[in-house]
Amino acid sequence: MADAHPGLPEFDYIKPASLAEASKFLVDHAGEARPFMGGTDTFVRMRDGVWKDRYLVDVKHLDGTSELGFDSKLGLTVGAGVPMNTLIASPEVQDHYPLLAQAAKTVAAYQLRNRATVVGNICNASPAGDTIGACLVYEGIMIIYGPSGRREEPLRTFFKGPGQTVLSPGDIALAIRLPIPPAGHAGRYLKLGRNRLSDLAIVGVTALGYPDSETASGFRFRLALAAVAPTPLIPIEAEKILAESPLDPATIDKAAEAAMNASSPIDDVRGSARYRRMMVRNLTRQALESVVSELS
Amino acid sequence: MMVKSIEPTLASHPSISPVGDNAPRIDATQKLTGAATFTDDIQFGPGLLHGRVVRSPHAHALIKSIDTSKAEALPGVRAVVTGKNYPGYLGLYLQDRHIFCRDRVRYVGDPVAGIVATTEDIAEQALDLIDVEYEVLEGVFDPVIGAKPDAPLIHPDLGDYVVANFIFPKPGTNISNHFKIRKGDTEAAWKECTAVIERTYRIPHVQHVPIEPHTAIARADQDGTVTLWSSTQSPFAQRNLIAKALGKSQSDVRVIGHYVGGGFGSKAGVTMEAPAVVMAMQVEGQPVKLRLTREEEFYTTFVRQGLVAEIKLGCDSTGKILAMENKFYWDGGAYTEYGVNVTRASGYSSTGPYEVPNVKTDSYCVYTNHPVGGPFRGFGMPEMHAGIEQCIDELALEIEMDPVQFRRINCLKEGSILVTGSRMHPTGLPECLDKAAEAIGWGKKSEPSGPNKRRGKGLALMWKAPAMPPNAGSSAWVELREDGTLNVGLGGQELGQGTFTVAAQMAAATLGVPFDWVRIASPVDTKYSPYEWQTVASRLTWSMGNAVVNASKDARKQIIDLVAESWEEDPADLDIVNGEVISYKSEEAMSLKDIAIYGLPKEGDSGWIGGPVVGRGRFMPTYVTGLDPETGQGERAVVHYTTGAQAVEVEVDLETGRVEVLRGVAAFDMGKAINPDQVRAQMEGGLVQGISTALFEGFKLEDGHLRNPSFVDYRIATSSDAPDQIEAIIVEVPQDDGPFGARGIGEHPMVPTIPAIANAIADALGVRISEPPFSSEKVYLAMLDEGLIS
Amino acid sequence: MAQHTLTLTVNGDPTTVSVPSHHTLLQMLRETLALTGTKNGCAAGECGACTVMMDGEPVNSCMVLAVECDGARIDTVESLAQDSQLDPIQEAFIESSAVQCGFCTPGVLVSSRALLDRNPDPTEAEIREALVGNLCRCTGYLSIIRAVRKSASSRAEAKV
Repeated sequence: MADAHPGLPEFDYIKPASLAEASKFLVDHAGEARPFMGGTDTFVRMRDGVWKDRYLVDVKHLDGTSELGFDSKLGLTVGAGVPMNTLIASPEVQDHYPLLAQAAKTVAAYQLRNRATVVGNICNASPAGDTIGACLVYEGIMIIYGPSGRREEPLRTFFKGPGQTVLSPGDIALAIRLPIPPAGHAGRYLKLGRNRLSDLAIVGVTALGYPDSETASGFRFRLALAAVAPTPLIPIEAEKILAESPLDPATIDKAAEAAMNASSPIDDVRGSARYRRMMVRNLTRQALESVVSELS
Repeated sequence: MMVKSIEPTLASHPSISPVGDNAPRIDATQKLTGAATFTDDIQFGPGLLHGRVVRSPHAHALIKSIDTSKAEALPGVRAVVTGKNYPGYLGLYLQDRHIFCRDRVRYVGDPVAGIVATTEDIAEQALDLIDVEYEVLEGVFDPVIGAKPDAPLIHPDLGDYVVANFIFPKPGTNISNHFKIRKGDTEAAWKECTAVIERTYRIPHVQHVPIEPHTAIARADQDGTVTLWSSTQSPFAQRNLIAKALGKSQSDVRVIGHYVGGGFGSKAGVTMEAPAVVMAMQVEGQPVKLRLTREEEFYTTFVRQGLVAEIKLGCDSTGKILAMENKFYWDGGAYTEYGVNVTRASGYSSTGPYEVPNVKTDSYCVYTNHPVGGPFRGFGMPEMHAGIEQCIDELALEIEMDPVQFRRINCLKEGSILVTGSRMHPTGLPECLDKAAEAIGWGKKSEPSGPNKRRGKGLALMWKAPAMPPNAGSSAWVELREDGTLNVGLGGQELGQGTFTVAAQMAAATLGVPFDWVRIASPVDTKYSPYEWQTVASRLTWSMGNAVVNASKDARKQIIDLVAESWEEDPADLDIVNGEVISYKSEEAMSLKDIAIYGLPKEGDSGWIGGPVVGRGRFMPTYVTGLDPETGQGERAVVHYTTGAQAVEVEVDLETGRVEVLRGVAAFDMGKAINPDQVRAQMEGGLVQGISTALFEGFKLEDGHLRNPSFVDYRIATSSDAPDQIEAIIVEVPQDDGPFGARGIGEHPMVPTIPAIANAIADALGVRISEPPFSSEKVYLAMLDEGLIS
Repeated sequence: MAQHTLTLTVNGDPTTVSVPSHHTLLQMLRETLALTGTKNGCAAGECGACTVMMDGEPVNSCMVLAVECDGARIDTVESLAQDSQLDPIQEAFIESSAVQCGFCTPGVLVSSRALLDRNPDPTEAEIREALVGNLCRCTGYLSIIRAVRKSASSRAEAKV
């Protein structure tokens, strides 16, 4: 219960002049320093006493973290410091990655989205993160700066557990790059909260579908589930069913059932495992119906 | 228009009494510009010290030792205080609580020590430096279990506590009050019933969630006096209770109450303010600020106690209710100094707003090791009606009668015999019922918005009397200023419900001045303001209103007598209209600004008559009688009842279980709407707060620990959860002793909402889900388990 | 513990302050600058009582470090009324009875004003969505929504 402090505990704010300086500082002070961007998750954890870092390192302004750029070959690069509202309002995101804008719009409230960032959402690595599903189905790649320089990490292998990623002390997530999505794709993010808006996801279903002549159904689907496993979950069996059978209600039901069976939610203060499983099934079905309808 | 211009001429204002007008709130501009002072806004300069409270991590434990030495040694810490030197007890109806725990902690969060430091950060750091040794005791976490004779005893000294003479604790048990109704013969009556139902309801704890957390600044001066600035509904009660607990004179404790950012009962009585005062006493001469975090706000002040209600209800074949049996087990929490009266109020209201000839009620206030139950909007009525109004629906359906018709037959009318044996005063309840039913389109079904949705309608009635001691009083004064404007002194607090505005309307109407000539002498300051018992119980419009009217009448009489003497006329021929004294006989007129302070000259420069005009008034009910402790019967249990009805239309999503309240209708009889817009504002706000507690809210307590003490996991209604439409219907059946016929309306719009929604869900689904919150999960799993969906 | 000197603009006034690293923008406004119109309801970014404008966009000031505001333009509720004239949105709140206890009001006003600045003619659904981060326990929101709609309409009329 409430070990929450009235405000933030004392720490030193560090604003490094370069990526190299930032990374070195984080390595030198491993265990007592943390990078932050929008801060919305960081400050809450610090106030709750969960994180007790002595240094908070502001990396928002560094090379490669503040740009939102679209390239017709490379795709979309979302800098780590780009607030969600900026992303949502971007014509390129709306045109080429509508599912990402849709998902970002469900996060918290407008004020918070002026600070919260997609990369921050990803690095926070909550299995309930709203924008993670969209980034997964858009096959996002994390661009990281670390002690040995820049590297890339596919989002699919980025998460290790609740709140845990492959980042090590000294690593700074610079951006996420989303390749050009498949032509003619349609997507849907359905989020179930306890009240209508502004809640965390109790269950979240992301569905992306696109025409693919190589599948039996003529379409291929990518799915991601939020809040029903230790990490954001891709229900592979469900995706398989959707590729291998004609797209009729029976197939969709089967896929929804498979998604439900792939999930392993827990009972917690927000919801029971039993309810969450049923919601995976129902929301997957709804999301698929919505995407199918848009594709036809 | 920000600056009010005073133009004391007839031309500038219409000559209509402001009572009944939608007068604009007099505090609105201050609040909209950020200028309104709330307690945390008061500036104290660099000498302000800051406090934090060390709290028990255990639900029930003995305190073996407290070592404060490490905390005291932290640079910046000015004082650390425990309960060691403060043996006094606090309590409104039952004195069962120390300011800081002495030998025992009784709930997670119970204050154990106070730290005063130069900054809040340092005080916070010092919390970890206090070493408390506890011996954990077995805890009580259920009121039914707590009521058993062999349950662990939470207050072994219950028999020694000072207690009001209408509260009946059972020493040697955890029962701090047992209220009984024994009326007629229920055993015989069951045999006459065509249909009988028996139900049990568990209503969870909820919290008020004022957007402004509790805040207090205290300063103890070296002359032994104390000043307390607090976000309080009850400056005078705080003065009284704190003075008593500290052995001080009430004159030596001064409480100043600025605007309150939401109370709903949480800021009545005394909670965190007493520790703040004791902390200030350690650093004489310096102000100490104590503020609660939102998490502390959730579980360390007051909460609305949980209830386990066992209700049995029976009727004959014509639908007339013959008998009712109730057992209420109130989960009172660690201290029930205030909550004991919830037990009583629910007891004497235990039939709901119906005439029932045979009633057996046992209402128990049970100590548990849970957060402290106290006054919450409705004072037991929402929790109680949550069960009763569902039983009414179910019983009606048992005999295949329409629930609205069933209520028409049984609901109180003027002259109905009440559960305590007296008769109901004139009431608009039947009118509220009919209007609510009509407005929601009772009997007509509307099309759901999709194939996987179901719609339903539900309705519920309510009644409530102000729950307070029989002699809770109000007082007021009215003084006139040079320009004829009024300064009204009162002791009621502005919590947002419009106290200051309606007081100004009533003063203006009574005295005969335009509404915007009236100012309220705020903030309420017990050093200068006239006494007011508390701002609770929806009593201010009625009780404080009467005092304001009486004070205004007194001032009016002084003015008219003075001018009559000057004009050598009969006072009966004079009046005050729009700020002018006029004579209907001679048609003379004189502006108030010419006489308010300086009196009037006598003829021929031979002296003066009159002087500064100060009117005084008071009001205290004198007719409330006691109730027989064995039967709960008495001549007059309460001052009056406000009654009303709510109806809702809901849509349930079969795929997620989500319940959406599409629209709501509220119809209440408040006697006279002094300010109809503000009355409608209470009806809208109350309905949404009711929806919030019905759909989203509930404490998740595990062995006394609150698992959802923040907005993240204690969800309240947001702008996206309010219905599309709320229709607020005002019914006015005058209150015989109310100012302009008015009685209260603040709490009532929240009372019937839970059962109205439960009844609507049952109508939509054919399945009854009876215990709030009706969360999406609860509704979905209920539908699944009932085979409605798969 | 580090202190930082910041230069920023607050309600149009150039301002220099010294703040510790861990102080939030909310603390700086209320405690260092004594601008107490902005309120503290939860310190966790949930209730919106602390909403202010930062470089033209509404933020929860309890979720922004003071030190992040170097060079920023901050506008609080105190900047809405000018020269003893209320902003039309404040007038609309009076007319619609959208103020009760007043504690959520500053944050609601800033969020509402920000909404109308970016979307001068919002639908009711858009108003609800824009205000979902401003909790109110007193009004039940409908009067607030009416006030914002009224303000939008009167601005539209003023333009015509």
